[in-house]
Amino acid sequence: MGSTAALGTPAPAAPLSKDSALAGEIKALVVAGRRDAARDRFADLVALQQRRASRIAYQYLRDVHDADEAVQDAFVKVYTHIASYREDLPFEVWFTRILVNGCLDLRKARSRRLRWVLPATTSNEAAPREPVAPEASPEQKVLASERGRQIAAAVAQLPERQRDVFTLCQMGGQSAGEVSKALGLSEATVRVHLFRAIRRLRGLLERERKV
Amino acid sequence: MLYPHLSDDRLIDVCLHQAAAKEQQHLASCSVCEERRANLARILTEVSDVAVAEADALFTQERLDRQRAHILQRVEQESRHGRLISFPAGQGSSPTLLRARPAARWIAGAAAAGLFIGLLAGHLTHDFTAGRVLPSRAVPPSAATFQAVSTTMSEEEFLGRLEIAVEGTGGTALRPLDDLTPLVWEVAAQ
Repeated sequence: MGSTAALGTPAPAAPLSKDSALAGEIKALVVAGRRDAARDRFADLVALQQRRASRIAYQYLRDVHDADEAVQDAFVKVYTHIASYREDLPFEVWFTRILVNGCLDLRKARSRRLRWVLPATTSNEAAPREPVAPEASPEQKVLASERGRQIAAAVAQLPERQRDVFTLCQMGGQSAGEVSKALGLSEATVRVHLFRAIRRLRGLLERERKV
Repeated sequence: MLYPHLSDDRLIDVCLHQAAAKEQQHLASCSVCEERRANLARILTEVSDVAVAEADALFTQERLDRQRAHILQRVEQESRHGRLISFPAGQGSSPTLLRARPAARWIAGAAAAGLFIGLLAGHLTHDFTAGRVLPSRAVPPSAATFQAVSTTMSEEEFLGRLEIAVEGTGGTALRPLDDLTPLVWEVAAQ
């Protein structure tokens, strides 16, 4: 579980993570005017963070195309503003903040758009999943299991703010302090949302298990 | 047992972060709390696994490769774009605009003045209403006129006048047709 590795706020003396070191290197190249070299190094940075970013964006937006767009926009923003990157902050925190802000903007834009569109279905639940083929990937097998469906439904029932905080802590592997910076909330508020989300999930899933 | 049972919040904290030494001791000696912790940790792991699986099933490696290619393409385009001049621009850019403007302004001013003078002169020298027949003022031939014709002129006289008029205008082309047509008064006389 990602969150068990994220312990509080990082100590300032801790060695730089690989992505933070790369971001610092790209910044130096851009400042020196070596744009081609910077772009090459940026490709490595994208490869490092891309999967995690896509997971987070998908949890926020619940739409693969919107998530894809949000991730692309976040990386482009990172590159264009790399000169303002502060090396004393972990790159992951900076990048997550940019990504989350982009996701929230997209979500707002989508809700404004949907205000004028009749919903296709009244249910919030995802469409029923297809039966799994024998050659399905391990991910598809997990999702197709009864437990997988129960969990996905339970997470979908969380209020938006609780789900956002839970997503960043669990999937983003961030501490409450880092999540508070990313979402612009106080650390205490983040902890309250996180604890409520976990309690609620536990309640829902234990009830399902008993049933 | 060194402690009373751990609260839910403490257990969540233990699952999300490293447990403090005191809590670890308690968990080691209290099977109830240890079971609760294990249960909570399992739920968190399951939820995390499902969420990750859900996203990874959609973001396949091919999709991620395409995404990376798009990002790098956009970055390339961003850096190829011309430098944007920040707004408000410094003093350096405004003289360029001002230098290009005076000629255009003079031309536009002269054209407007010419148009105005032309319109004014037209108004003064020409009475537009003179030759114009306003629909509201166009008087149709009044019924009184027709009345006068019908009362002062007999039908025969009218047709005779018409014939004279046709002859007078030299309707030679209509002459053969006219010869074939019987005259009204001849028919009337018969």
